[in-house]
Amino acid sequence: MAIVATTTKFSVYGRPVLAWIVGLLFFFPIFWLVLTSFKTDADAVKPEFLFFFTPTLDNYLNMTENYDYWRFATNSVITSVFATIFALAVGIPSAYAMAFNPSRATKDVLMWMLSTKMLPAAAVLYPMTFLTKSLGLFDTHFMVIVVLMLINLPIVIWMLFTYFKEIPKDIIEAGQMDGVNTWGEVKEILIPLAWGGIASTALLCFIFCWNEAYWTVRLTTTEAATLSKLIEGNRAPEGLFFGRLSAVSAAAVGPIVVLGWFCQKQLVQGLTFGAVK
Amino acid sequence: MSNRTLPRLLQTPAVILLLIWMLVPLSLTLYFSFIRYVLNNLRRPEWTTPSFSNWRGFGNYEFVLNSKDFLLAIQNSLFIVGSILFLTVALGVLIAVMINKAFPGQGIVRVLLISPFFVMPAVNAVLWINMILDPVLGLQGLAVAGINDLIASLQGAPVVGWFFSLWPEIEPISFRATQTSAIAVIIMVTWQWTPFAVLIFMTSLQSEDQQQKEAAVLDGAGTWSQFRFLTLPHLGRPIAIVVMIQAIFHLSLYAEIEIVSRGNGNKNLPYLIGEFANNNIGAASATGIFAVILANIVAIFLLRMIGKTLME
Repeated sequence: MAIVATTTKFSVYGRPVLAWIVGLLFFFPIFWLVLTSFKTDADAVKPEFLFFFTPTLDNYLNMTENYDYWRFATNSVITSVFATIFALAVGIPSAYAMAFNPSRATKDVLMWMLSTKMLPAAAVLYPMTFLTKSLGLFDTHFMVIVVLMLINLPIVIWMLFTYFKEIPKDIIEAGQMDGVNTWGEVKEILIPLAWGGIASTALLCFIFCWNEAYWTVRLTTTEAATLSKLIEGNRAPEGLFFGRLSAVSAAAVGPIVVLGWFCQKQLVQGLTFGAVK
Repeated sequence: MSNRTLPRLLQTPAVILLLIWMLVPLSLTLYFSFIRYVLNNLRRPEWTTPSFSNWRGFGNYEFVLNSKDFLLAIQNSLFIVGSILFLTVALGVLIAVMINKAFPGQGIVRVLLISPFFVMPAVNAVLWINMILDPVLGLQGLAVAGINDLIASLQGAPVVGWFFSLWPEIEPISFRATQTSAIAVIIMVTWQWTPFAVLIFMTSLQSEDQQQKEAAVLDGAGTWSQFRFLTLPHLGRPIAIVVMIQAIFHLSLYAEIEIVSRGNGNKNLPYLIGEFANNNIGAASATGIFAVILANIVAIFLLRMIGKTLME
């Protein structure tokens, strides 16, 4: 009866078609970016070459020449990888402590950590510039890594905390009975058990670091500048360089979008702090 | 050392790091907001170094409150964030309900749909403002020109030509103007964050009580009342979470505004701070403190509302 009632014509044909249309619409801008990246700069703004044109790889082959792409990409990789590693190195012990040895203050500490994320970055813009310049750290990889790590630390700890909480306490306690010390607990019990959670936390942290566009733009000029800085610096081409700008943009987001496809499930659990499963 | 001291100690590095990260720059902002501090001033060179002797009290705050951009920036901040929240939640619920049931290619549609979320904000803005929304060379411009050409050619047609000659020429919209650039920012951020909302609502819908739904159908409940009285309440918690997480990210929205609104008056608070910071550090800092207060109001409100559900 229930089955009969819900199997209308719409839900058999209309719903899937509508869903496909919505999916394609949302993907269209990315498709358009990639398509434009195979056009010459001149073709990219001509209506007659909207969909049918002679594709060229020149925009990708000349990325180094036009934009010095690889230098910025290398900086993005270095800063994102190290920021993620450090965030995990600080975050894992902290989340471990809060998940398995909670005190009465643990909830408040976690909430406070999240609230540091809400502090508008712009409010401390000048002091940060002032501090980094006076410490001689302006435009260095080190500073970008530290800042990226700090802005993502609350999310990392929250995610790890929710994953760790799922592990039965008995297992950890059994380890304690056997006389395993804290380091042993983390290394031999926690990390193997929570491996999946740690990996998805790392992935998400890496994606956020890669896409960050406030501090990476404001605290760098050339040496430590990332892809965000590169794109931001070439933002207003007024139609002159649509082809080459598309190519460098596609190269900047491509790896991350593909990476994102693989961790979309974990993303939900992680970003909602386990509240939605 | 007791059994629990070491584990407790393990959380101190994170706490100390975040404490430093929060307190040091913020106290400098607070200090700068009470002194006269500018980067360039030939007549008063003493103002270019921060010092207590340049004390200005609440002067910077008064200056900011009296500047015509300030209210505009707050208004703009709230308009942009509020619109984005409303649109992403509404579209997110709609799309999630639509694609929740299995259909051919559901996995692919999911992948297509989530992709915008991973695009970096700088690329998002450059892509939309140039290749899509540009009134001449973007898709919008090309589409408008195409429609105008079509109408023009129809005007020459026999019999129906007079009818089409009554049609006006369509004007493309420039999204770089003051009013419209806020719309452009809303469009691009909504495009990026609706997928996130969809993903979360979809996950939540999978745990919806199907038996309850079937019972409702047996009782003669229509699609709308099922949605209104069963699905929507079920989504209450995920909606709250989506709102909170987005508020965290959008209160400091910057890259999109910077790229779209170069000097055309479409300012939000972060943008206004950046503008003051080119010279008047005192005013930038006072604006920063206002931004912190605004963020705190939102944060307290949200954490009160949602924090409890997170902790359960």
